[in-house]
Amino acid sequence: MSLDQLEELKNVWKNQGESSIKFTESDIYKMVHKRSSSIVKWILIISILEFVLPYIFIFFTDFNSTKEVYQTYDLNNMMSIYTVIHIVVILGFIYFFFKNYKNIQADSSVKNLLHDILKTRKTVKYYIYYNLTMAAIIGLHVFYIVFNSDQFVNKLPANTNMLIIWSIAIAIFAFVLFLFWCFYRLIYGFLLKKLKKNYSELDRNE
Amino acid sequence: MTRELEKKFASELEKNQGIIHKVCRSYTNNETAHKDLFQEITIQLWKAYPKFRGESKFSTWMYRVAFNTAISLFRKSKRNIETTQIYDNLKELEFQDYDDTQDKQLKLLYNAIYSLNDIEKALALLYLEDKNYKEIASTLGISEVNARVKMNRTKTKLKNIINP
Repeated sequence: MSLDQLEELKNVWKNQGESSIKFTESDIYKMVHKRSSSIVKWILIISILEFVLPYIFIFFTDFNSTKEVYQTYDLNNMMSIYTVIHIVVILGFIYFFFKNYKNIQADSSVKNLLHDILKTRKTVKYYIYYNLTMAAIIGLHVFYIVFNSDQFVNKLPANTNMLIIWSIAIAIFAFVLFLFWCFYRLIYGFLLKKLKKNYSELDRNE
Repeated sequence: MTRELEKKFASELEKNQGIIHKVCRSYTNNETAHKDLFQEITIQLWKAYPKFRGESKFSTWMYRVAFNTAISLFRKSKRNIETTQIYDNLKELEFQDYDDTQDKQLKLLYNAIYSLNDIEKALALLYLEDKNYKEIASTLGISEVNARVKMNRTKTKLKNIINP
């Protein structure tokens, strides 16, 4: 088949009759009131859950025992500083997320739309990375204070090698963070696979 | 006011629905998915409608939103049949040099378009609709040079699918 014949197929295309599926004005009027089930809507729902869920877990923790640990190792001041920094950063992330979300327009060019959706989701990606980094920093800081406190050292058998304690603590902690990271990559990949593929297809300069 | 706008929108869309059906038929392979995609495109068009200033033709604007919905926003239902099955159907329908009925050729053409990737589908449709490179480039958001290169590749691919 030559390209000229492909050109002739245009006539077949142009002469096609009306679609076998057809909607009336009232069908369309009803459709306008239906809920969208677009990827963007799912991204919004999942992203909000990712912002909110970690804080719901806090309500299931034992406040008294946490308070006791803070008092025993004198962690109150340090944790207050981290909390303030954390709240400011989270508010920043939420602001940028909604700013990017509002930019998503269904009538922009295909490439711009893909770019805007991916950008919105990227805010959540950085938010997750920030959380994991922050968890690692606070975790190591807490380990450092606890492992160097008399209260903790006195509880250990004599001649305990602190290197082993550090290694076990870091290994378990890193494993938990790694699990969170894997879980997140899974959701992220599942949501964006199609968009990323189409974006790189458009972005490729041939 | 909203009610009036809704009525105006529904009336304009009803008249121009052919464009959306072409996009739906190219991006889906069964009636349920076709209707689902049509509905999602309608919702997206309605959401964008208040900002439609008439800078471009209503049909051009509709094309843009329809492609965007099909390529970026629509979540395919699991009820869809896998692409490989379409390829099998395609093999059954041998292309016979224009002796065949218009319907059969059209079906073959749609099946061939369906087997392209999402971006190539858009390029094939824009080609068949005789859009110029300026409009193709602006719809997809790429340069005209890139649009030409991609278009040539898509045309060759389409040609090879129809007549391997």
